[in-house]
Amino acid sequence: MWAAFRALFAAIMTDRAAALLLFAAPLIYAGFYPSAYTGEVVVRAPVVVVDQDRSAASRDLVIRVGAAQQTELVASLPDIAAAESWMADGQAVAALIIPESFGGDIASGKTGTVVLIGHGAYLLRASSALTGIGVALGRTGREAAREQARAAGPPAPPALALQPRPLFNTREGYGAAVFPGVAFVIIHQSLLLGLALLAGTARERIGPDLRLTRRQLAGIALAASFIGLLDVGWFVGMVFWWHDYPRAAAPLLDVAIGAILFVAATVAAALALASIFPTRERPLQLVLPISLPLFFLAGLSWPAEATPTVLVALARLFPTTSGLELMVGLNQMGGSLKDYWHAALNLGLLTLLFGIFATRRWTSGLDVERGG
Amino acid sequence: MTRPAAFRASMAREWRFLARSPWDLALLTWLPLLLCGAIAWQLSDGVIRDLPVLLIDQDKTMIGRDLAIRIEAAPGLALAGRVPDLAAAEEMIRAKRAQAALLVPPDTAQRALRGEAPLILYFNASYPAAAAAVQREAGAIVDAANARLATEWIAAIAAPGSVRPAPVRAVTAIAWNAPASQELQLVSLLHPALLHLLFMLAVVSAFGRELRDGSIREWSPGVAALAGKAAPYLAVFMGWGLLATFWLSGVRGWQFAGSFTLFMAGYAAMYLAYLGVAVLLLGATRTLSQSLSITGLYAGASFAFAGAIFPLEQASAFARVWAGALPYTHFARLLARTWIAEGSAMAVAAPLLAMLGIALVTAVPGAILYLRAARDPDSWGRR
Repeated sequence: MWAAFRALFAAIMTDRAAALLLFAAPLIYAGFYPSAYTGEVVVRAPVVVVDQDRSAASRDLVIRVGAAQQTELVASLPDIAAAESWMADGQAVAALIIPESFGGDIASGKTGTVVLIGHGAYLLRASSALTGIGVALGRTGREAAREQARAAGPPAPPALALQPRPLFNTREGYGAAVFPGVAFVIIHQSLLLGLALLAGTARERIGPDLRLTRRQLAGIALAASFIGLLDVGWFVGMVFWWHDYPRAAAPLLDVAIGAILFVAATVAAALALASIFPTRERPLQLVLPISLPLFFLAGLSWPAEATPTVLVALARLFPTTSGLELMVGLNQMGGSLKDYWHAALNLGLLTLLFGIFATRRWTSGLDVERGG
Repeated sequence: MTRPAAFRASMAREWRFLARSPWDLALLTWLPLLLCGAIAWQLSDGVIRDLPVLLIDQDKTMIGRDLAIRIEAAPGLALAGRVPDLAAAEEMIRAKRAQAALLVPPDTAQRALRGEAPLILYFNASYPAAAAAVQREAGAIVDAANARLATEWIAAIAAPGSVRPAPVRAVTAIAWNAPASQELQLVSLLHPALLHLLFMLAVVSAFGRELRDGSIREWSPGVAALAGKAAPYLAVFMGWGLLATFWLSGVRGWQFAGSFTLFMAGYAAMYLAYLGVAVLLLGATRTLSQSLSITGLYAGASFAFAGAIFPLEQASAFARVWAGALPYTHFARLLARTWIAEGSAMAVAAPLLAMLGIALVTAVPGAILYLRAARDPDSWGRR
């Protein structure tokens, strides 16, 4: 068993592509991927304004929008058509239209109405820009209310005021929400690709009679799990800290058990998959493109509540789905293992399922199609 | 052999190979169908419904009961239960049995009469898509509750004339995507994100295989033969692009605001650019496995770098340069200016030209290097 453990490391060291996938990829992706998300929250989204009113109130609003953190005024345009073409060309993600009657309505005690248009192709940026404009409008509104109060007495404020409070990812960064999940897809893919590549290579060299004893298979699985746990430690212990992503103080034991469950299920899946491909490059062709669907199926960027039930159930066949739920829960949300017992159980069952499949395939001689 | 004959012979040779190799054919057939299908199916709801929300009613008056009814009635939310305090709510949110909790603090009814009684919405910011939906829906619920309280309660006790409409208000609209559907935004971007990666893997495999197996000796390609080999892949993946577009615009009804023809020209330009990069990679490394690994790095993370969802202007300098070198970034811009909205001729031409530019600056040196490798037996058979 220990011979097989050492043999796996020896094989990786002599195979540049395998070393790249298993050792270099987690290092490269840790710097590469988060660089797309360094902004974290939307600031200075480009906004155009159409001020048809040109009153004191409208000018006050335009100045406040220009000063808002989320928005940057890129143009003042004569009409809505011009605003629309700026947005259609991708030069603005939102438009503020102030109709002619705005100032007059406020002065006469009525409601001054503005029109906000967000760009449908850039929903996140548009909604941040609209929030910024909304805050500016609120300030203009308070100013206007004081003016109105001179004529009509102070207005009654609204009864209730909603105060949103983010839990866990308290700064609401988008990188901080996405990458702690993506990291586990990276680990999953790195193990899957690296092990399948090595298995394909071994099969090419030794031929279709390649067969392992249970002990050898266990040694390889142990070595691969060791690499997987190093990966988890690297991301959870170093990379999340380096990028200052939310880290909750979940009990270390729970995190360790969670990591072991995720890595075990992933290694079992990788060994099962590796028994299918007869050539070295095949897994790279077929496994690389599944990363994006795997991430979406895990439910961070699209909630499981809005996913068809059958698909939610099928997604549980991949270690990433329960792995992300478990590890994001432990690392970012500070839960304990008992909060995610169903995800943990799911990973345990997957380890068993893929483990049995892999053992049967690898110990009984692989009946692999030739010529693939 | 004349050039057209070499093109046809090379194309026929590639089709024959594909017909014999089920795994290579998978990359062109069931794998795109499976992956694009899964994404289309997952996001087919488009808007998020029935997110579980908890109510922490510490006030125990008609306000809490009213909010409970409104949460149940809101299409985006469902009342997952009532809990006594935040600790209990946080425990359930942690266990993902709820996405958010609305706290009605003690004496809310009393304070509401004076105005602006705080209601606190705790939401799980680790799940951003659900968090955004919860905030939007809760805002609408509180606005509706305010409107009712203003007429029923406050008007009865406040000074006459003091209950009046707010001095300012905004009418908000989302242009070209009125329901603010994530299906249109995400699926229209995710399908080409999957297709260009599959396409690049397929062409890297096709051209790299010849070097790996030494079959390039028998093939002995010229420029026309290179084009002939790429043709089946371009044709098949244009077909997938067309089908994905037809699914979303024809079947799901997200119609084109601008030019469909220019959008499909964009698909062609994008594939050509990734073809150029693929040939350049193989010409430079002469190794299939290395080229496939680099493909994963180059084309596998496009979705994060394209700036279509998260703004690129705020990303690091490295990320902006990297994004500019990805054809998909320009394709995403073209998509927003042809499908979602109708951009001006200049705005549409810029991303198209950028993709063709990438195709040109990679394909020319790529073809030279690849053809050089084709004549150099020492560079064959590398793993």
